[in-house]
Amino acid sequence: MALPITIPIPKEKAMESKAEATPVVEMRNIKKNFAAVQALRGVDLVLHHNEVLGLLGDNAAGKSTLMKVLSGAYIPEEGEIFIEGEKVHITDPWHARRLGIEMVYQDLALANNLNVAANVFLGREVVGSQLGPLGVMNSHHMELETQRLLDRLKIDIPSVRLLVERLSGGQRQAVAIARATAFDSKVTIMDEPTAALSVAAISKVLDLVRELKAQGASIIIISHRLEDIYQVSDRMVVLRRGRKVGDCPVEGDIDEFRERVVAYIVGARDDFAEEEVNSVG
Amino acid sequence: MSFFKDAQKLFQQNIREYGMYIAFIVIIIFFSFATKGLFVSSRNIGNLVNATSYIAVLAVGMTLVIVIRHIDLSVGFLAGFLGAIAAISMKFWLFPSYLTIPLILGLGILAGLITGFLVAQMKIPAFVATLAGSLGYRGALQLVTSGTGTIIISDEMFNAIGNGFIPDIPGSGILPETHKVTLLLGLAAIILFIIGEIRDRRKTLSYNFEVISMSMFITKLVFVSAVIGGITLVLAGYQGLSWAAVVLLAVVMIYSFITTKTVLGRHIYAVGGNPEAAQLSGISVKKITYLVFGSMGMLAALSGILYASWLRSATTIAGTLFELDAIAAAFVGGVAVAGGVGKVTGSILGALVMASLTNGMNLMGVGISLQYIVRAAVLAAAVIFDVVTRNRGK
Repeated sequence: MALPITIPIPKEKAMESKAEATPVVEMRNIKKNFAAVQALRGVDLVLHHNEVLGLLGDNAAGKSTLMKVLSGAYIPEEGEIFIEGEKVHITDPWHARRLGIEMVYQDLALANNLNVAANVFLGREVVGSQLGPLGVMNSHHMELETQRLLDRLKIDIPSVRLLVERLSGGQRQAVAIARATAFDSKVTIMDEPTAALSVAAISKVLDLVRELKAQGASIIIISHRLEDIYQVSDRMVVLRRGRKVGDCPVEGDIDEFRERVVAYIVGARDDFAEEEVNSVG
Repeated sequence: MSFFKDAQKLFQQNIREYGMYIAFIVIIIFFSFATKGLFVSSRNIGNLVNATSYIAVLAVGMTLVIVIRHIDLSVGFLAGFLGAIAAISMKFWLFPSYLTIPLILGLGILAGLITGFLVAQMKIPAFVATLAGSLGYRGALQLVTSGTGTIIISDEMFNAIGNGFIPDIPGSGILPETHKVTLLLGLAAIILFIIGEIRDRRKTLSYNFEVISMSMFITKLVFVSAVIGGITLVLAGYQGLSWAAVVLLAVVMIYSFITTKTVLGRHIYAVGGNPEAAQLSGISVKKITYLVFGSMGMLAALSGILYASWLRSATTIAGTLFELDAIAAAFVGGVAVAGGVGKVTGSILGALVMASLTNGMNLMGVGISLQYIVRAAVLAAAVIFDVVTRNRGK
């Protein structure tokens, strides 16, 4: 514990060997009910190494529920989750984080009263020396590592000592994402990362997603904004009423893409219709 | 002119903190003139520190309670009740003071943990839980003192905490009218402060982080050294450093260290700033709540000890409204009502400001009714200043 933690720099080559074969995340037949409402009716989802997956769907389609199952906030009634091929039973959000699953929540990610470095290292403070039960923090080390992390991800913030409440919405989102990807995370889930941001800030966040992908990260993005998904995702999964209705690569031009997605979302198109018949029957 | 620019920048960045120091200095200067020097006399300052100590230790604990978005209304009568138990322990159970003090501190922690249980485990709003606590401890205080009334404490060691002074080097002949140990301690404090600041600056520079300019740095060193030196000289002119001041200094140093340097302190502020984020980061909000209320209980016990010792007795109404004085001190000291923000040192300064107002106005012969109104104005002004400076920063 006394050893200073350094934020690891991803080794892309090392990842390639593991990649392709086993998906980083595999969810099978996930079911989750809230009282009489079936929020998830047996959803499968696969995320490959170094892939950006867009998760789409109307309100109450089950996208957030599915991601909360993966990040440990909800326990599913049925279904299996595999992380890099190993079956896991996620019990709570902290457990999920230890497994390398990081979720960037819409609003509750950061403590506004603390500075950037303190937020990045929140819950993982670097201890310089131990004084009985009290760990004395090595603040300089954490600040330096945070600065390196921000530089590596090309995030422009004047000082890591700035309080988060002094940052713009886009900068806050960038810090939240940087923090989620900082420590050996295997998969980063972003829940509406561009909601409530200005146009300029949105493009910065999307740049950050591309940068993370270039550095080897595996990412799932939930978004209402189809353009965002189109711009950064390799593949998309569309949910409708708790079921997966579409799972295909993001390709073609934007209008074509939009048309296709809308068809899935409103129910005009369904690639997994048979399964519904089976599960209902 | 870069010196003034630097000073201006530094002042703007820390306007809340520096504003309070300046307000405190203004109050001291005003009362010094208004009372023709009586206010800053060694004897008065010594008394002022002793009379502030039992509120100041409560304000330290209250700071952390408010930082994690709670409040504790029970600590006043808890302090009074535990002071009475201390008196009973020495007078009727014939426990020596060195057993009584740990016993009382332990009971304080227990009482704090009970509050913590109600708030963290049972999810009862702290306002309600501690209001009930306040009523309960008030009843308990009256119950244990009902047969005896005020209990006189005759244990000299115990009474020394609130009235005694640290010993001096006897009869060495040099500086006969001053307290030499106090002078030496003050000198040591200045040297340690300067060494610490220089080391910190070097280390920060070695990491290539920004530091304040050299001229500002020297100004800061000179200013703080002058303040410590001034207080030391004043205290040394009477009977030196009192034990109550030693206790208060120890509490401030320990709590400042914990809140600013340790992981625990960081987690306390994280819970105050965003409990959900803290929980998701693996910080147990429950554990922090227990710890903060436990420490509050211990400090309430310490407050009860300081008060009973100062009065050399436990009275039937001890602790009345202590909690509100402590809360006022914390708010004057810059603790944010919404939680997450506030320093231990600020709250101590807040307690000193409020006590100085009372003390200074007493010396001037200002009536008690006017005193309340002045203190109300200062409290309101401090919080308004807080809100305005914070909103402007956004």
